[in-house]
This record gives sequence, structure tokens and C-alpha cells, in this order.
Amino acid sequence: MISADVSRAEGFTPPGPGDFDLQPLFGGTYAFAKPGLQLILAAVLVFGFFALTSRRAVMVPGRAQFAGEQAYGFVRNSLARDIIGSHDFMKFVPYLVSLFFFVLINNLFGLIPFFQFPTFSKAGFAYGLAALTWVLYNGVGIWKHGLIKYLKLQSIPGGVSGPILLLIVPLEFISNLIVRPITLALRLFANMFAGHLLLILFTLGGEYLLLESEQLLYKPVGVIALLLAIAISFLELLIQFLQAYVFTLLTAMYVQGALAEEH
Amino acid sequence: MTQQHAPPSRAVDPWAAFGRLVAGVAIYATIGWVGDSWIGTSFLVPVGIVIGAALGLWTTFLGLRQQ
Repeated sequence: MISADVSRAEGFTPPGPGDFDLQPLFGGTYAFAKPGLQLILAAVLVFGFFALTSRRAVMVPGRAQFAGEQAYGFVRNSLARDIIGSHDFMKFVPYLVSLFFFVLINNLFGLIPFFQFPTFSKAGFAYGLAALTWVLYNGVGIWKHGLIKYLKLQSIPGGVSGPILLLIVPLEFISNLIVRPITLALRLFANMFAGHLLLILFTLGGEYLLLESEQLLYKPVGVIALLLAIAISFLELLIQFLQAYVFTLLTAMYVQGALAEEH
Repeated sequence: MTQQHAPPSRAVDPWAAFGRLVAGVAIYATIGWVGDSWIGTSFLVPVGIVIGAALGLWTTFLGLRQQ
């Protein structure tokens, strides 16, 4: 009896990719929806936070300045300096700090009430951000080595010589210049997309089982689903932080790889 | 901040292996497909996939040995 009910699934429509197509707030052809607004808001928040905490910087920092310096120092030391090395890293710290907190806030929008939509679960935004990283590390490499030498460094792995290079060069070229930005964007997008979908499924499913299902047996299952939704929210919090960290970490690694003499 | 932090000789990108495998399989499968449709055979795509995966593994191995 119960299994037949489950297979009919009553009137529940499971969430899908369609849930990510939000109604535009305004505009016709170039519609402007919530993710776009969040993107702008995140940029304003990051700029505002660091401007406010560093504007009247004093020798003995107050609470706000301390928070700002801690946030800045985290990315500066654990990402920029440790990866790129003490010689070149300062040039890239402003970009890496902004990038990390920009991605972090956009991801956190996935859990903050009234936003509740991770901006980068729209693939286009993630591709745009990865394109910035791509332009940065290739630009840095070309600026440091010149175009020809940079392409050589990127497509000839160290310790290989002879005719086998003919097979290796196209592989290295594609993996370093084409696959990299795509996986960078896909990783961020897919994590945000899947996490948000999971949250929708557990909250909507739990609500349906608890309130709308006519089977009395389903109601406790609905409660379990809603409790799990809370647990998944905490997991999402971790993933949102982790993905911002990984995106910035890989950007720093690519910059370091472009600067390195020996590949 | 007088402490010196020397960069590693090459950044250890944990996703390099993935990139190389995907790139290797993609390139040599494409070359195999072109060969197949040119000559009229049907075995060059799998051969290309295997060669691409092998080369991707090999370059990953080389990259790690360089550390």
C-alpha cells in the first residue's frame, strides 16, 4: 500500500534546474534578477568593509580595524605569501583578498534569509570570475616571460625531451590554458548548484510530507527531513567557505605557475 | 614580516592530474575520430582514448617526480 503511494508521489513536484530561473526584478531583454543584485551588493559589502576598517588606521587597532586586518592577513599570509612566495606576492594581494571575500559573501547569500540563493549557482557568473583569473595568470606570465617563452613554459613539462614532446605539448597546452579555467568555474558552480538543490529538496520535501501529505506515517519522516535540512545548512556553510578558499588558492597557484622559471 | 617564505619550486596544483587526463583523452580521442572518419575504420577512437589517458598519467607522474 505504502510503496504504491510513494511511487505515485501524490502531488509533490521535486525541485529541479528550473528553480534556479528566478523572475527578473525589472528589465526586458537584459533582465536583471536577484543574482545580479547580490553580485553588486557583495562588491559593495567587500569594498565597504575594507574601506571602513582601514580608513582611519591607527597604530593600536580598535575592534573594527582588528577584524579587517585579521581578514586581510588571513588571505595575505595563508594564500598569497605561502603560495606565490615572498618575492612577488604583494602585487597580487589586493586581487586575492577581494576575490576571496567576494566569492565568500556571494556563497553565503545562499544561507542568509531573504537572499537564500548562492549567486554562483548561476553558471555564467562562475565562468566570468574564472575568466578574470585566466586573464590574470596568463597576463602575468606573458608580462614576465614574453609570449613565446611563456607558451613554451606552459606547454613543455620539465624533464621531457625528444620526439615524445610532440605528443605531450598539445596535452600540456590544453590542460594548462583551456581545461584550467573551465574546471575552476565548474567546481564553484557545481558545488553551489548542488548544495542549493539539496536544501530545496529537503525543505520542500519535509514541508510536503509534514503538512500536505495525507498519510499519517509520513509526518514523522517530514520532521526528520526538516531536521536534516538544518544539518545540511551547516554542511553548506562549510562548503561555501571552502569553495571561496579553493577558488582563491587555485588562482594563487596559477599565478605562481605562470611566474615560475622552471615548469 | 622579515621572515622569508620561499615559494615551492612549482605549485602543487591538486587538479593538474584531472586537467591532464581530461586534456589527453580529449585530444587523442579527437585525433582518433578524425582518423576514423578519414580512413573509414572504427577502432581509432578507443585507441586514442587509451593513449591520451596513458600520456596524461605519465605527465602527471613526471610532474610529481619533479618535486
